[in-house]
Amino acid sequence: MSTTIPIPATPTFAPKARRMTLKRRRQFAGVVFALPAIALVVCFIGVPIGQAVYYSFTQWNGLTSTWIGPSTWTQAFHNTNLWTALRNNGLLLLSVPFALAIPLGIAVLLHQRVAGWRVFRSIYFLPTAISWVVLGLVAERFFAYQGTLNSIIHALGFSHISTNMLGYQSEALIALGITFVFTMIGTNTMLFLTGLATLDPSLEEAARIDGAGRWRIFRSITLPHLSRFIQLAFVMTVIALFSALFSLIFVMTGGGPGYATTTMEFLIYETGFNQGDFGTAALYGLILFVITGIVGVVQLRLIGSNE
Amino acid sequence: MTTLVTPPTESEGTGEPRAMKKPRKVGRWILFGAMVIVAIVMLYPFWVMVITSLKSESQFLSGGGFSWLSWSSLTSVIPVGQEVLSSTILCSASIFIILCVGLPAGFAFSKLRFRSSTAVFLVIVSAMMVPLQAILMPEFVNVTKLHLTGGYTGAILVYAALGTPFSVFLFTTYFRGVPDELIEAGIVDGLGYFGAMWRLVLPIAVPAIATVTVLQFIQIWDDLLVGLLFIQNTSDRPITVGLAVLAAGRTTSIPGLMAGSIISALPAMLVYLGFQRYLVKGLTMGIDR
Repeated sequence: MSTTIPIPATPTFAPKARRMTLKRRRQFAGVVFALPAIALVVCFIGVPIGQAVYYSFTQWNGLTSTWIGPSTWTQAFHNTNLWTALRNNGLLLLSVPFALAIPLGIAVLLHQRVAGWRVFRSIYFLPTAISWVVLGLVAERFFAYQGTLNSIIHALGFSHISTNMLGYQSEALIALGITFVFTMIGTNTMLFLTGLATLDPSLEEAARIDGAGRWRIFRSITLPHLSRFIQLAFVMTVIALFSALFSLIFVMTGGGPGYATTTMEFLIYETGFNQGDFGTAALYGLILFVITGIVGVVQLRLIGSNE
Repeated sequence: MTTLVTPPTESEGTGEPRAMKKPRKVGRWILFGAMVIVAIVMLYPFWVMVITSLKSESQFLSGGGFSWLSWSSLTSVIPVGQEVLSSTILCSASIFIILCVGLPAGFAFSKLRFRSSTAVFLVIVSAMMVPLQAILMPEFVNVTKLHLTGGYTGAILVYAALGTPFSVFLFTTYFRGVPDELIEAGIVDGLGYFGAMWRLVLPIAVPAIATVTVLQFIQIWDDLLVGLLFIQNTSDRPITVGLAVLAAGRTTSIPGLMAGSIISALPAMLVYLGFQRYLVKGLTMGIDR
């Protein structure tokens, strides 16, 4: 087949020939240099995606797999656990506006450059360095029956009210959402602060001279300028919501009570390693892959639109 | 917080200098107060860790008191030394691979472009979006079948593979700013491509190397899932996994857990405080230019 493609005429001049081989050698070096990275990504990310597709049609316990066919998918969609996990993820999406608005407020605060703002900045970002395992442990203490939350409530004079949010199906997810918002504050504030730093201060100055109030300046100048950063923060937050909650759930609730805090990623772990149903877990993984893929495409668009 | 954005005097928009001066100053104090409140909230986890770790089990349950017990008996509750060592081994080996693989690839994708290198680059970069959970089952079975879960090898390779797409992206973007002439001059001088990378590219890549190292260090040091599943021997566990497993068991004393948490948090915090600049650069990569 390749014979039909016109082969470029072999160069007749010596200099041109040398240039050709130089180009060849450069390309060859490029392939050699890129190969280890390509191999690593293909072996540990590419191949498993393909395997996941195959195994999603099988009954698989990790050792032996039997081909079942598409019925595994219809079976999975009749599983209430899947819908519970998707619903939990959907409900957690409600926390995203908070995970954006609070850091935005903090970033604007820091941007006022009050005395000591650098120190405050370091403090605000400090939890970002800590493992979500540790933050989950602390959050568990916060929401516990003898935890800080109840101390605060009692100190405010409501001594007859005692909460135990992680213990109840209806409230555990809210506690998880609050913790998630807290863990995202550092990263998102960092993003917004970078965005604010690129804002031309003379614009705000001009608006102020024109008699615009602070709120007006914020809405008409600051916010539109930040829109790209807000979009990126939104996408990063949503991706974290689908793929980074594992540590928090693992130490805070173990997915419970019942399945009240089991999200997609935790369901995959639970189905695979607690129930030993590798095939269904691989299938759930593909569903998660599609969800994050859609969000990821949006993010690539956002980054791409910048270049 | 909204009060900061809309102080009452500004709503008029008259901009009379003398009328504005005083509220301005008051506004500064309100701002400062708000920042202190946020600081308290953000420092809360550290406060809880320190206070709780300085109590014995019974003092913790009753509320009052102070004791070094959880610190003096820490090693019997959590094998801290072994776990910190494991975390260090995992981090350094994975980051070493990520750099060794990512830097040449970034050099290739930016300066030694080959046929369809752009497409290959895009495929690698999009692998950044694949969460480990999505491919967890096949990955686990593959690594287990290759008998790599016995020591650290399996976890190191998984960490390296997960970190590579980002490092390739970062190095490629970074090297695009390096003039082609520099590399060409090196080639003409007979350095060869490897020599050009080693002698010309590596020295100017130090900021990018630092960014990748800091980000990956925090990522891997703080990770739970890979360490939990891809390291079979409990004696090889990194500190984050050790803590999480103890916490999930719900039998360990909470003061002890908090002491362990402090140990696990300290290295990441120190790296963060020392290299904050690189962390910010890495997180805002791709938008901040």
